[in-house]
Amino acid sequence: MADQLILNVNGQDHKILAAPETPLLYVLRNELHCTGPRYGCGVAQCGACAILVDGAEVRSCITPASSATGKKIITIEGLPVLWTSNHAEVDSNALHPVQQAWIDEQVPQCGYCQSGMMITAVELLANNPAPSLAQIKDAYTNKPPSPHLCRCGTYAAIIRAVQLASKTISAIPRTGGSTSS
Amino acid sequence: MKAVLPTSSSAPSMEPLPQLTRRGFLQSGGALVVSFAMHPLSAQAATATPSTAQSMPAASWIELRDDGKIIVRTGRTEIGTGMSGFYPQIVAEELCVRPDVISLIMGDTDRTPDGGYSAGFLSGADNLRKVSAYTYQALLGLASEKLLIPVEQLTVNDGIVIGNGRQVSYADLVRNQRLDLTVPVSGKFARVDPKSWNGIDGLDGLTVLGNPPTRPVNKFKVVGTSNPMPGIPDKVTGRTQWTCDVILPNMLHARMIRPTALGSTLITAGTLDKAIYPNVQVVVKKNLVAVVAPTEWEAVSASLVVAASTKWTEWAGLPTSAKLSETLRNYKWEKPSEAKGDLEQTTSALNAATKKVSATYEQPFVKHAPIGAFVAVADVRDDGTVTVWSHSANLQGLRAQIANTLSTPVEKVVVRWLDHAGQFGRTTFGGDGAEGDAAILSQILRRPIRVQWTLQDDFAWSASSPGWIEDIACSLDANNHITALKSSFYSPQSNDARIVGAVLAGMPNLRSKPDYWIATEWPYDRIPHRHEEVFGMPNLGSDSPNGVGMRGLIMRTPGQRQQNFALESLLNEAAVEAGMDPIAFRLAHTSDQRLIELLHATATKAEWQSRPSPNPSPKADEGEQLHGRGMCLMTRQNSCWVGIAEIVVTPSTGVIQVTKFTIGADPGKIINPRQLERCMLSGVVMGISEALKEEVTFDTGKITSTFWSSYKILTMAEMPEIRVVQISRDDKGYGGGSEAANAICPAAIAAAFHDATGIHARRIPLTPSYVVQQLRPKAVL
Repeated sequence: MADQLILNVNGQDHKILAAPETPLLYVLRNELHCTGPRYGCGVAQCGACAILVDGAEVRSCITPASSATGKKIITIEGLPVLWTSNHAEVDSNALHPVQQAWIDEQVPQCGYCQSGMMITAVELLANNPAPSLAQIKDAYTNKPPSPHLCRCGTYAAIIRAVQLASKTISAIPRTGGSTSS
Repeated sequence: MKAVLPTSSSAPSMEPLPQLTRRGFLQSGGALVVSFAMHPLSAQAATATPSTAQSMPAASWIELRDDGKIIVRTGRTEIGTGMSGFYPQIVAEELCVRPDVISLIMGDTDRTPDGGYSAGFLSGADNLRKVSAYTYQALLGLASEKLLIPVEQLTVNDGIVIGNGRQVSYADLVRNQRLDLTVPVSGKFARVDPKSWNGIDGLDGLTVLGNPPTRPVNKFKVVGTSNPMPGIPDKVTGRTQWTCDVILPNMLHARMIRPTALGSTLITAGTLDKAIYPNVQVVVKKNLVAVVAPTEWEAVSASLVVAASTKWTEWAGLPTSAKLSETLRNYKWEKPSEAKGDLEQTTSALNAATKKVSATYEQPFVKHAPIGAFVAVADVRDDGTVTVWSHSANLQGLRAQIANTLSTPVEKVVVRWLDHAGQFGRTTFGGDGAEGDAAILSQILRRPIRVQWTLQDDFAWSASSPGWIEDIACSLDANNHITALKSSFYSPQSNDARIVGAVLAGMPNLRSKPDYWIATEWPYDRIPHRHEEVFGMPNLGSDSPNGVGMRGLIMRTPGQRQQNFALESLLNEAAVEAGMDPIAFRLAHTSDQRLIELLHATATKAEWQSRPSPNPSPKADEGEQLHGRGMCLMTRQNSCWVGIAEIVVTPSTGVIQVTKFTIGADPGKIINPRQLERCMLSGVVMGISEALKEEVTFDTGKITSTFWSSYKILTMAEMPEIRVVQISRDDKGYGGGSEAANAICPAAIAAAFHDATGIHARRIPLTPSYVVQQLRPKAVL
């Protein structure tokens, strides 16, 4: 049966009615029309549905909506605000450095997996603003529950974009207090 | 799929250019609209029938508006390779405008003029180049009238026509007018046709005729620059509307309940407890079973319950993937689908030779494996009109198939295109997505239906690129020159684009012929005799009770990916037999100057040291790891490709790591160096994935590799350092620049495996278990 749940998504509280076991992916996409995270495999094996919950990457296709109440959910739609709210001196319309790097490096081909790829980059750079090549590869390959897969094969562009975003993030000091950059 | 090359010189046609028709003056607005006529140019004037000034033809090629904006329409779609950037570049070049004033509409069957293959970029580019060239001439004519200056004295810069110190913009030329330009075309729209090879005709779409004066390649300003791909900012910020994002009023979500085996038929459909699932409905049509619900999660939850209680007949008509090669070997092949070359001379040269190299190469079934399982929305209305939202790569082909399956006139069907996960040729012939399921369910329920396949649905029930075997042999003379080469390729068909939902529902569908084709483009003109033949057979399990079977379809670099692997692997083995460096061996067998130049450039970039294989000192350090290098080349669609792989083999685990891959391409005139580089880098990832990992497994009834944990693809950590070489030419037209990068990897990696180990690997993928088995000492008899 449907319960009322309050979810904080991209800085705003939303009241929704959903069966508590409903995966966050379906709630975000169909109830809140937040379509950045996408259905790839439904079993946490590809990463297309990745989002941040309290700053940590989770696979929204297997995460019950009820488990995320009282936590801060961030999708790619919320990355600009996440960035500008923690960096007072940047233009309030600026994209997150990870998004800007994804544009500058022309990363997406079909682009279906890239929302999840950017989420991993944001999490990685929040914990390690200057990752080595090996650390970037490790974050996308060996971190549970599965590697982030790209069938178009954009891995080289992703690596370049993470390195570019790393430079931007390292150059601009943080002013806010949120859990991730 | 055939390449249509633009003329590299701009020799103008002797035919008259199409003339503008003015359909009256307007109080406001104004545009020049370029559409088409299906007959020769000389008759076009008669077609300029007046219409009301406001009614724009929906499917014009180009609309040039009085605000300076230009709308360009093409039936092709963006398949992830940057075409949505290339088409505006090509139009901008001919019209002398900036690409950013151009908006591109792609794919939609009611809003684009020409249809055609999305993968057929070359023919799409040729169409738009000619349309733009005709438009440019018409605009010069208008400007000449307005400025009273002869056309020959006019130049255009950034949409401003200039002559004799006076100027007028394109926008001013069309202001307060409605001007029509009709360009000549040939071709036909896609229709289901049992006589054609894959059951559907007209997939090429329309071709623009004539030979208008075009800008000389060496004067290009826009083509050849790295224009960004237009859709990327929206994809990165979450603004793109994907196929999976379509929500219609009154829409139901569906999940499919597929049979337990590929050939099973329905005994009884499962049921639901209405107290628990009051809003959910089970829909059955013959062997098509679905669950529909107002919310997606209800559909997902209910589908698990229904699937568990649905009963299917047993079926075990597949040979198993372990026995695939044996099955292909034992099949009673009849005459070849296609043969090329002189069999008698080739056979006699082979028989006369003292030194011969022969081998059989093989590969299992592989999958297109999109990252997102397929999805579609369909709305079949009471008046018989149908709208389908799809990410097919041939929308007019899909439209014809949907109309055929629903027994509806094709004119009543509209297919709209939206982005979705890359699919690498799976929908080049139209269908093979969830569109058929959605349209059938919507026709039954008379409501908009969204069908989302699961990953397992997609892996188990979509078409695959079939497994194959090839016997190939060549003879060497005393100077180690190849005197003759003979090949025989055997595979199940690769052209079964039937809509799987329609097969299961017993509704009208395509009928294809189980033929294969010679895909090799021959790079070795200095081999005097050759004979190639290819054999096709029906899908495995094609005689099953439900009629589905292991459907085969083309996949990226189709046919040539497979046949070139065998050809290049044999050349590598022959180079070993000759005791020659494999690049030097290639150079001895071709006089293609483009290929020769690219071989040298790629070898230099890879720091290639000339020597024969195997590697005399494969252990670079004290450990057990073995180092090897190998190469491969290919010519395809007016392009040359070279790949050089460096690998490390760990004998105890069987793991191969590709440490460096150098890829060289000469696709004639490079349209966009950066987008080409992206395609080359990513194509190498896909090619290494195929060489090392990819294999569809199946038991006697069904595909068993239905998760990413069982159908493995390359991960980021497994990607090598990749080096790129590009050669652009002004005198060779355009060549295929995005597709083929994957196909040069497997033979280069297999050669590197031999270089490291001294063992010829004649099967891909080179999985750890296969490698360990190859390295095991052979029993001495």
